Amino acid sequence: MALWVDKYRPRELTKLDYHKEQAEDLRNLCKQTDFPHLMFYGPSGSGKKTRIMCLLREMYGAGVERLRNENMSFTTTSGRKIEVMTVSSNYHLELNPSDAGIYDRTVVIDLIKQVAQTQQIDITGQREFKVIVISEGDELTKDAQHALRRTMEKYVATCRIILSVNSTSRIIPAIRSRCLGVRISAPTEAEITTILQNTCKREGLSLPNELAKRVALKSERNLRRALLMLEASKVQQYPFTAQQEIPQLDWQSFLHETANQILSEQTPAKLEKIRERLYELLAQGVPPNLIFRGLVQQLVCNCDMSLKANTLKFAALYEHRMQNGAKHIFHLEAFVAQFMNIYKQFVSELIMTDDF
Amino acid sequence: MSARKKPWVRSAFSQISITPKIDDNSTLPARTRSASAATTTRTELQTEDTIAFVDLTVNENKNETQPNSAGTPIPKDDWMGSFAPVTSEDLAVHAKKVAEVRDWFRHCEAVRKKCPAQLCLLTGPAGAGKTATVRILAEEAGYDLREWVNPVDCEVIDALGDQPRGNYVGSQLEAFKSFLLRASRYKSLLVQPRKRLLLVEDFPNVLLTDAAVLFEDIINEYVSYGKSPLVFIVADAKSRGLNISYKLFTDQLKSKFRIEHISFNAIASSIMQKSMKRVCTLMRQQHASTYKVPSQSVVDSIVVCAQGDIRNALINLHFASLKGAPNMPTMQLEAKPMKSRKRKAQSTLKSIGRDESITMMHALGRIFNPKLTEEKHLQHSPEEIAEAFSTEPRNLINFIHSNYLQHFSDIGHVVSALNDIGIADLMITEYRDDAVGKLGINIAVRSCMVSNAIPVSGWMPVRGPKRFLVQHQATAAEEKLLGMAYAGISRTLYSTDYSSFVRLIANRSQDIKSAETDKP
Repeated sequence: MALWVDKYRPRELTKLDYHKEQAEDLRNLCKQTDFPHLMFYGPSGSGKKTRIMCLLREMYGAGVERLRNENMSFTTTSGRKIEVMTVSSNYHLELNPSDAGIYDRTVVIDLIKQVAQTQQIDITGQREFKVIVISEGDELTKDAQHALRRTMEKYVATCRIILSVNSTSRIIPAIRSRCLGVRISAPTEAEITTILQNTCKREGLSLPNELAKRVALKSERNLRRALLMLEASKVQQYPFTAQQEIPQLDWQSFLHETANQILSEQTPAKLEKIRERLYELLAQGVPPNLIFRGLVQQLVCNCDMSLKANTLKFAALYEHRMQNGAKHIFHLEAFVAQFMNIYKQFVSELIMTDDF
Repeated sequence: MSARKKPWVRSAFSQISITPKIDDNSTLPARTRSASAATTTRTELQTEDTIAFVDLTVNENKNETQPNSAGTPIPKDDWMGSFAPVTSEDLAVHAKKVAEVRDWFRHCEAVRKKCPAQLCLLTGPAGAGKTATVRILAEEAGYDLREWVNPVDCEVIDALGDQPRGNYVGSQLEAFKSFLLRASRYKSLLVQPRKRLLLVEDFPNVLLTDAAVLFEDIINEYVSYGKSPLVFIVADAKSRGLNISYKLFTDQLKSKFRIEHISFNAIASSIMQKSMKRVCTLMRQQHASTYKVPSQSVVDSIVVCAQGDIRNALINLHFASLKGAPNMPTMQLEAKPMKSRKRKAQSTLKSIGRDESITMMHALGRIFNPKLTEEKHLQHSPEEIAEAFSTEPRNLINFIHSNYLQHFSDIGHVVSALNDIGIADLMITEYRDDAVGKLGINIAVRSCMVSNAIPVSGWMPVRGPKRFLVQHQATAAEEKLLGMAYAGISRTLYSTDYSSFVRLIANRSQDIKSAETDKP
């Protein structure tokens, strides 16, 4: 039993549900003998990985889908052993260098060398290069990106690299210019609704249109999240009703509650409690920039225009520091403290003016 | 018997070499710093001034033959030795601590027949008189002291420059084990048999890295086979990583083997004054030819700048009282404003003095409860505090961050302090220049001291920085649900998008499965 997300993932470019023109372009790209490095970019859950796999299938045939898991271990220059899980077929290799943390440079260099140094033996009817798929390429450190740039040039005869990134702004220009960028925009809510309906049809379930719309709305145009959400709600309650409760992402509701607590009281004691909650979120593996963004979005809802501008100004300041600093919690907490401060002043002024 | 094992045996035999009958030319292995020997010779010293002391080896005899330009006789023994305490009253340790250790000795005596292998751990800052106390009290209770000293590696090289084969030198740990087990069991043939006490001050290096389990095994073995009490002496270290008493002697271990833990404090200045006085009198009475007693003000400043370290104070005193040495310059300390009592202005030695090292707890106290002088200046300057932690800025910042909040009452003050802590974090992260990191902690420390206008008072325990491990692991059921794709999902993506839903689905499908199996 596989998850719906995987079970009903389109396997061929022709069967994609949206961005059909782009799919046609990708097919044309494969028809040529040569093939550039690619960079798929777009928000999370918009179908980058799906398209990459479809593209690979288009190039190499069904053999790409015979996947195997491999645990690769690398030794860093400091003698530390790191393990990275990879998924590969005979034609491609997929990896998440961000799992290696700050040692991603070693992973990128070693792995690509390993793959690129071996030529394809049987090239009749196939491409003469292998493909390396790097997911979450924007999580790569600057160091690793520079290393990647060099390897891309050196082994261009035997391997191509497909990057999957959320935002190109964190990719160094040198890499950006070496890749053909393919933008995958998030599906619209209408598109998500149709996909949800189709999925249910194939599962043999009936889905009220209203519920599909609500799920699509809640998923924030993230198709993966929408499908997981739908499957989770099916598990919770079936047959579907239009107004049934849709399960939330744990950390999002937790963050929501945190924001409410910030608005309820602005004291150092409360800040201490908020810190505990932030630690809890970080321990669950939620990346700090998502926490930051979620907090700001929630807090800003409760502000008037001047306060909004002020909040965003500070958010930008502390987010920047968080990116450069080493301890995320300091800067998250500093933002919360700053917000508490301005919000408290704002409220007290409001009370003063009310008195007159 | 391996070559390595010989030394301690020899040391046991070499007891004879320090009995007064033997002439002082005999070389003595440094490892037998036996209490009995030390004290016997010491008592002798007081009567006839000339007999050479234990540690006087061939080298020092050579010294004697050299022309003495200054014309003053060089003292024939080491300074610390000849003025070391002889009776427990002479000890510069608080009487209650001495009593505590004495109680332990009595306890050992009481259960000697039943379980002779009693364990004791003495901790305290350097120069608090731990070793001296054990020596004196061991002598008092009639014990011979056997001390473990880490052997220095010596490789045997024959005339051709080869190392002979088959000459296996056992590991240090083996040697340590055999010391513990045999030194307590077997008697020396040549000296009057007395009760023995083992002392370990020098831990084998293997145990310092990470071998707490190993250590527990050794202790376990000793408790069951050892025949005499065993004392461990551990000096406090500032950082936790180096702290043996924390790493090796866990609470669990201490309670399991009933290790008596006696912790010494730094010596109070009044007690230290007293023992300095004793040394000065000794000097006047017996060593007047060599030493001149320094003035009272110099002695006072020595006591002040030793900061509770008696060893340091004695060394300074030695230096100050040498004939021909210039008077030591002293420096007036800032007078502390005391309300009720009039206090003597304190002074400290200008040139020599221990660097004031402050512990993390002290530093945090000074940061969060800053004291002001009469002129409204900070009594402890932020620079001083930052300087003390310049080698571990990250640690200080983390401690500040996890503790500052409870001292603040106003969110506005929190903002300015936390803002600067954030800046400090950025500066410490800057790896290209070390000096920037130091400035960083300076900023954080200063900010915490200054910005808290309305501090909260009360008792607030210090909390360590929080460490968290990010848990990414999916359960087996969840992993199975994802199948092959699991490897392709990065950990962050899994925890943000997948985990909450997948958990739900996996749980439910398990429920269904178990329901199905229950049916038939």
